[in-house]
Amino acid sequence: MKQAGIKVLIVDDEVALANTLAQRLKMRDLQVETAYNGEEALSRLKQEEPDVMVLDLRMPGMQGMDVLKEVKKTHPHIQVIILTGHGTDKEEEEAKILGGFCFLKKPAEIETLAAKIKGAFSEKCAKTP
Amino acid sequence: MIQTIRDIFRVIRHPGDLFSISAADPYKSLKIRVVLLDAILSLLPLVIVVTISYFWFQSILKEDYRSQIKWQIENTKQSLDFFIEERVSGLRFIASTFTYEQLSDRKTLANVFLKFKREVSGLVDLGVIDSNGIQQAYVGPYKLEGKDYSNHDWFDEVTVRNVYVSDVFMGYRKLPHFAIAVKRELPEQGTFWILRATIDVETLSKFASAMNLGAEDDAFLINKEGVIQTPSQFHGNVLGKLTFPLPGSQQGVTVHEITESPHHECTICGYAELKNSPWILVAMIQSAPYLKIPRIFKNELLFIIIISTIIGIIVVTRIANTLVNRIQEAEKEREDAIAQSEHASKLASVGRLASGVAHEINNPLAIINEKAGLIKDILEVSEDPSKNREKFLGLINSIFDSVSRCRTITHRLLGFSRRMDTAHELFDMNDAIREVLGFLEKEIMFRNIRLELVLAEDLPRLMSDKGQIQQVLLNIFNNALDALLEGKEGAITITTDSKDQKIRVSVSDNGHGIPKDKLKKIFEPFYSTKEKGKGTGLGLFISYGIIKKLGGNILVESEATKGTKFTIEIPTTSTSQ
Repeated sequence: MKQAGIKVLIVDDEVALANTLAQRLKMRDLQVETAYNGEEALSRLKQEEPDVMVLDLRMPGMQGMDVLKEVKKTHPHIQVIILTGHGTDKEEEEAKILGGFCFLKKPAEIETLAAKIKGAFSEKCAKTP
Repeated sequence: MIQTIRDIFRVIRHPGDLFSISAADPYKSLKIRVVLLDAILSLLPLVIVVTISYFWFQSILKEDYRSQIKWQIENTKQSLDFFIEERVSGLRFIASTFTYEQLSDRKTLANVFLKFKREVSGLVDLGVIDSNGIQQAYVGPYKLEGKDYSNHDWFDEVTVRNVYVSDVFMGYRKLPHFAIAVKRELPEQGTFWILRATIDVETLSKFASAMNLGAEDDAFLINKEGVIQTPSQFHGNVLGKLTFPLPGSQQGVTVHEITESPHHECTICGYAELKNSPWILVAMIQSAPYLKIPRIFKNELLFIIIISTIIGIIVVTRIANTLVNRIQEAEKEREDAIAQSEHASKLASVGRLASGVAHEINNPLAIINEKAGLIKDILEVSEDPSKNREKFLGLINSIFDSVSRCRTITHRLLGFSRRMDTAHELFDMNDAIREVLGFLEKEIMFRNIRLELVLAEDLPRLMSDKGQIQQVLLNIFNNALDALLEGKEGAITITTDSKDQKIRVSVSDNGHGIPKDKLKKIFEPFYSTKEKGKGTGLGLFISYGIIKKLGGNILVESEATKGTKFTIEIPTTSTSQ
C-alpha cells in the first residue's frame, strides 16, 4: 500500500496546531491539507476529496459533529478521525454512530495519529472496490 | 421529660420566661407550647365539668337541706299551734260548762283544775276573774286570789277579743310564764267573767328540743317585737331582745341564710309565725352538715383533678417530646440534604468549569506537543541542525506562547478557587465579570452567542466577597447560556451601573424565559426548570443566600419565550450579615 497517496484534510480552528500537525504528517509521507473551520472544510471537499479527515469538534461556527454528519451524507467514503481537546464519552458515542472512524483526544501522539490515518485509509480501500 | 416538666412549671410561674426560652432554643419553646396548649385543651373541660358539678351538687344539697328544715319547722309549728289550741279549747269548754258561780267556789275550781291538769300538761294555775278585773277564785301554787288585773294589758285584750294568749311575762310571781284567757259573756246581767290559766314556759321549750336538732343548733320562740320567749342556747335569755333582725314575716315557713350570725359563721335561719298565739318559732341551724358533705365531695373531685392533671401532663409531655424530636430530626435531615446538595451543586459548577478548562488547556498542550514533535522530527532527519536554527527558534517561541496560554488559564482558575473562601476585598465589578466570562468565552464563541457588555466605566470599586459574587455571576451566566434555544441566535447582555452606594449587574438573555407561575418558585431549593439531570435546583437558592448575606438583593424579570433578566444589587461596602 502506497502511503504517499493518502490524502489527509486537517480541520481545526487552532491554526498553529493544524499547520504543525500538517507539517509533521507530511514528513511521514502523507499528503496533507488544512482547513480552519467547518465551512471551509466542506467547500474544500468539492475541489478535492481527501481519503481521511482529521476533525476537531469545538470550532467557532459550524461544529465538528455537524461537519461529520454532512461529510458522511455527501462523501460517505471519506474516513473521519475526531481529534478533540474536549472529548466526552457521550460525544465519542455520537461520533461512532454518525460513522466516525475513531476518536482521539488532544494532545495525541503523532505516531498514533499516523497509524490511525493509515488504518482509516485501509478501511476506505476495503470498502471501495 | 423531667426537664420539660420543670420548664413548664417555670413558665407557669414566670410567663415571661417563655420568650427567653424561645430565643434560646426554639424546639424547647415549641415543646412547652405544645404541652401547655394540649394540657389546657384536655384539662380545661375536666375542670369546668368538675366545677359545675361541685356547685350543682352543693346547690342540690342546700335545697334538700333547706326543705328538710322547712318541714321540721312546719311540724313543730303545727304541734305548737295544736298545743295552744288544745288549751284554749279546754278553757272554753270549762267556761261554757260551768257557771261563774260554780267556778267562783274554790272547791269546784280546784276540782276542775285537777281534772284539767290531768288532761293537759304545763298548766300552772287557774283563776276566775270578774268583769272588774279582780281574781275571784284561784287555784295554783301562788297566792293570787283577790289580785286586780284591771290595769293589765291582757285584761283589756281579752275583753275585746274574747280569747287571748299573752306574751311570756314575769307577772307577780317573777317567773317566765304566759297566760291564756277566755271571756264568758253573761248577757242577762249585761256583764262577763274571765277564765284564765297560766302555762309554764318550760312546756313550750320541750317543743324546741323535740325538733331533734344538733348540739350547735338552737330553736326558740320570740314575740313579734323580737323578744325571746323560751330559753335559747346561744341567742339570749328569756325576755331578752334577739340580737339580729328577722325579715318581715310571710305566710308559712321562711328559710334564709345568715352568714354573720353572732355565734356561727354560716347559719340557716328558719322561722314561722304561729297561728293562734303572738309568737314566731325560730330555728337557728348551723350549716355545717351540708357543708361537710361537699367538703368530702370537693376533696374527691380535687383528687380526680390532680390525678388527671398529672397523668395528662405526663402523656402530653411524652407526645410533645416525640413530636418535637421527630420535627427536629426531620429538620436536621432537611438541613443535611441541603448541605449535601449544596456541595453537589458546587461540584457541578466545578465540573462545568473543569470541562471548559480541559478544552482550553488541551489545545495549547496539543500545540506544544506538535511543535516539540516537529523539532524532534527535524532533528531526526536533518544532518546539520544548525541550518534550521531560525525555524527552531520560531517553533520554541510558539511553544512559549502556548505555555503562556496555559499559565493564564491555570492562574485564573487558581485565583477563582482561592476566593471560594469568604473574604472581603476591594475589587472592580467589571473585572470580576470579565474574569468569570473568561471561563465561558469559548462556549460563547463556539455556540455563536452574541455577548454584549454594557459596563459602566466609572463604576466605584466595592468592598465585598469577590469569590462569592463570582460564584453567583457564574451561576447566572450559566443559567443564561442554558436558557438559550437551539436554532435561534442567542444573545446575552450584561450591564453594570451604580446608584445610591450600590452596584447593579443585570444579565439578560433571549432564551426560553420562565412562565409566571414558575417565576416565584425559582429561588426555592430543589426547584429547577431545566431538564432532569441538568440542574440541581440549588444554584439560584444558593445565589440568593449569598447575595442576601452580603446585604444585597437579587431580582428576576422574565417573559415566557422572550427571555429572562436577572439583576443583582450589591452595596459598595457590604458587611456579612
